[in-house]
Amino acid sequence: MNNGVNRQRGVEHDIVQRPGSTDAAPYYEPQGNEVGVFEAAARRKLPVMLKGPTGCGKTRFLEYMAWRLKRPLVTVSCHEDLTSSDLVGRFLLEGNETVWQDGPLTRSVKAGAICYLDEIVEARTDSTVVIHSLTDHRRQLTLEKKGVEIDAHDEFLLVISYNPGYQTVLKDLKPSTKQRFVGINFDFPTPEIERKIIMNEVPGVSLELATKLVATGGKARGLKDHGLDEVTSTRALVYAANLMIAGLQPVEACRAAMVNPMTDDIELSAALSEIISAHFE
Amino acid sequence: MSQPAAIEEALAALRALSVDAARAAAAVIPAIARHGEAVTASWLQAARKLSAHDRDSARAFIEGSAAAESASEEVLPWTEQAATFTRWPGCARAVEAFMRELPAAYAALGHAGERRWAELGLRWCERHLDSGRAYFAVPVRELSGRQGVAGIEQILDCAEELYESRHLMLVSYLQGALRVRNLLGAQAVTPWAMRGSDIMQAGRARGEAYFRLESEESLRLLLDSLPGFRPVERSRLLSLLVEVWFGETIELKESAWTPEKGRPFIECDGQSLMLPPVLTDQDETVLAILHSAGSMIHGSYDPDDVRRMFELSGLPVPNLGDPISMDPLFARFGDDAQRFKLLFDLVEDLRVDAAVGRNVPNHLKRMLRAGEALGVPPDPAGSYYRYALDSLRLALGQPNELSAEEQALLASVLSPQAGIAVAFEVALKLFSIAHLPEIDSREAAVLAYLPGRSPNASRAFQPRERSTDAQSGESEGEQGEGDQDQQEAGDQEQSESAEGQSEREESSETDEQQATGTGTTTGVGSSRRRAEEQAGKGGSSDKGIPYPEWDYREQRLKRNWAWVQEKKLAESNLGEARRLEQEYAIALKKLKQALQSQKPTRLAPRRRQFEGEDIDLEAAISYVTEREAGMSPEATVYRRRELKQREVSVILLADLSTSIMQLLPEGRGRLVDRVRAGILLFAESLEMVGDSYAIAGFCSKYRDNVAYYRIKDFDEPWSIEVKAQVGGLSGRLATRMGTAIRHATACFNGVSSRRRLLLLVSDGRPEDYDDGGDRRYLHEDTRMAVKEAVARGVHPYCITVDTLANEYLPQIFGRGHYLVLDHINSLPRRLPEIYLKLRR
Repeated sequence: MNNGVNRQRGVEHDIVQRPGSTDAAPYYEPQGNEVGVFEAAARRKLPVMLKGPTGCGKTRFLEYMAWRLKRPLVTVSCHEDLTSSDLVGRFLLEGNETVWQDGPLTRSVKAGAICYLDEIVEARTDSTVVIHSLTDHRRQLTLEKKGVEIDAHDEFLLVISYNPGYQTVLKDLKPSTKQRFVGINFDFPTPEIERKIIMNEVPGVSLELATKLVATGGKARGLKDHGLDEVTSTRALVYAANLMIAGLQPVEACRAAMVNPMTDDIELSAALSEIISAHFE
Repeated sequence: MSQPAAIEEALAALRALSVDAARAAAAVIPAIARHGEAVTASWLQAARKLSAHDRDSARAFIEGSAAAESASEEVLPWTEQAATFTRWPGCARAVEAFMRELPAAYAALGHAGERRWAELGLRWCERHLDSGRAYFAVPVRELSGRQGVAGIEQILDCAEELYESRHLMLVSYLQGALRVRNLLGAQAVTPWAMRGSDIMQAGRARGEAYFRLESEESLRLLLDSLPGFRPVERSRLLSLLVEVWFGETIELKESAWTPEKGRPFIECDGQSLMLPPVLTDQDETVLAILHSAGSMIHGSYDPDDVRRMFELSGLPVPNLGDPISMDPLFARFGDDAQRFKLLFDLVEDLRVDAAVGRNVPNHLKRMLRAGEALGVPPDPAGSYYRYALDSLRLALGQPNELSAEEQALLASVLSPQAGIAVAFEVALKLFSIAHLPEIDSREAAVLAYLPGRSPNASRAFQPRERSTDAQSGESEGEQGEGDQDQQEAGDQEQSESAEGQSEREESSETDEQQATGTGTTTGVGSSRRRAEEQAGKGGSSDKGIPYPEWDYREQRLKRNWAWVQEKKLAESNLGEARRLEQEYAIALKKLKQALQSQKPTRLAPRRRQFEGEDIDLEAAISYVTEREAGMSPEATVYRRRELKQREVSVILLADLSTSIMQLLPEGRGRLVDRVRAGILLFAESLEMVGDSYAIAGFCSKYRDNVAYYRIKDFDEPWSIEVKAQVGGLSGRLATRMGTAIRHATACFNGVSSRRRLLLLVSDGRPEDYDDGGDRRYLHEDTRMAVKEAVARGVHPYCITVDTLANEYLPQIFGRGHYLVLDHINSLPRRLPEIYLKLRR
């Protein structure tokens, strides 16, 4: 698969890697003018917030934009124990000395990379504060422990993603943080685009199968308010298509990719199964 | 005609006993006589014996003999059997029944079978004459269940067992047992009768009703043991499917179907669907729900079409505001009414299924397959069934046996524009050309429907407009708002009247309370509460605490508009709390296990670690010095930050309006039971987690009377008294939600936690008696109260069981700040779960 950077499998490589000129573009199908908005923000050095449900293409979009802008992409998946030193860096002992090691954010600031903080709401609030000075006109990162400040590289760009689901009531971003970003809304693509995505991601899928998958996904998303935390994503549809190409029966493939991972609720999975079997009779 | 001497002699002996009997016997003798002199004499002796024993039984014997002889072509065996009855006094009715069924017994069971039938019956007569009579009174075919002697033995084996174990007499349950066997098979009879004998011991009348299959419990037990798919239990799945495919919510209710009513169908009254307790399997049920919901959505009850059908028939159009019956449309066909109705249903079902097929892929194929799998019933219904299958094949473009003319007519109902009136016209035209046989009985007619289909308009219905965009295929977005408003208006009227009633009850109760001082307060802690009530009255003003209210019409806050009185709940019920704890013990245990694994176990900061966020300076210094000193210490120089308890405070605020007292649709209690259980589980989990929490409830009646019940405060322990109050929760009055939210927000004052959650548990929209029917007013006010709360650092989150809540909660609480539970029973389990998810 293309990740914007031609990487050797099974080999350690640095997290900051600039896409080469010969790399093939990651596949991305624009749904609106998000490419234009992102490019404008990048030109004007404004931080960007990507909003949207899981599996609708936020990460892929960034890979694509990194390739377009020829900038390295550094992704940090945030979790609740993520501290500011995980982002900024920390002192380590080496021999008799303490050695400072830059965190991924610091490295991006220095190298002019796109730093992508995935699911930022999961992180502790104290770790999100370090980005404040980076996201306004100062574009500075303060390394408190080291007692230094870094002015960000011109090409440095901070991107966060944020999934406004119901689990975020208590963990909403502070308005003061939110309003520093340019927001781009993502949603599941329209049926035509989603069909195109599936056929592109999984070569060998027929138009008919892709159409059915998309219709199934669309109906399954109708169950959102009935206890599904996340609805059937484009990614799940791509998985299902992959399983079918690998030789599974359509109904079986859909169940494995779109029902079993989503819910343990008997009635909900029965309803999802009904939707699937109606489409793939 | 001269008789042989032996016969004359026997006849004379009979005459000496009864002249009437002898006269009747003389009339029968010619039929008997062909079996010989000795036989006839024996027969007369039996008659005399019976006559000496009981005149009526002799008459029944003699009168039944001719028929018995002609059916059996023998005399002695049944004569001997009849003579056996002389062993019991008062046997006339038994003999009567025996003689009446005798010919049928021979015809159905043969000679050997008849002997066994009589033997079994006589054994019961010996035991209990009434039971024997009841046995003989049952038509033999019914008794055998069309399975010959084996069928009779089967049911009597059960009887034998019941007699042995419970001393239960056949007469008390035979009729019911036969029906149970016909419905469920012989294996169901014994458990059913065992249960009945228990009930019989508890009370005779109740037991008798049970055995007549008239009591609720008998019916329930029967329905529970019916094989098949239970739509009512799976109603959540079914409503999910309706919503997925049609984008609409349709109310599903339980119908009053009982096994005697024959084939079960989903019925519809134009507003909601009525599910029978059982259908064959999931496939049929899904087809049926899609078909029935489809007929509602695709205009089978459309008022314009209904008017047109009545006009086409030249009948006066009924008032479209009242429930409408379609019967007049069929009645004018006289004897052919059933034939026309079936044909019309067939055409209309085809129209509906074609329309459903535009929503649901492969619907027609699936219906055809299910229809083929079930198999064609015997004629005359079979002709209709085949016709329906052919019409489906036509719709699918498959080869079929319909004539060109029929095909052309049926094709016209397949268009998306066709309504039920078009189907009616087509049926009128088809009626003269389709070759469908006469059909008269309802039993036969119900077999003519394909699986999933059902008689249309089997009950009177309320007109329901066709959902406009359902016609165009995809059904998303706004639709049927007109109907919904109409429906809601109806609902509101109902709920208003219900509330009005309870308001009266409530006010009378308060009067009483005022009169007696303490009212109905009983049980634990009543004196404490009384003291508090009095203190409350003395402390602040009687009016309570004022809050502003937002008036959207004037776009301003009305100052000091709504008044909150803090109260303690008067009722408490520790027993109920204990019962609920028992009932949910397993759920609670699971919950606690889950919490245990989540709970942070190390609270102190860990020093001297191999890794961590910060350097442990002390350890680092000693590490460096030790190394300098030539030792090889371990590099445990990090400090890991203390896993801090999240500082969360939560108020669980329960809506205690009248509506929570409603009975749950599937039985088994009221909504309030689930609310109580939910609160109990919630509190138990929070005790475990260690977050600080408060529990409160609210209700209202007019703006100056909003009651806020503090059930548990933040610093109050989760004590027996508090539990008992939760157990005694009940509903009253209305829902002024905004004011309650404002007051709860104020209750967070003085709480130091940074994360503050206000968890609302509700079952309906904000409403109060003085909102003048303007729903928007309290909606807007609640929305404003939520906004104010957020501004003050409190996050309101609403959990509701009102399935219509998707219409108003997004506006009030905002996306992602509410949850609609589509199944009430899941509330207890989900409540703690949701909270834990929220605080994660």
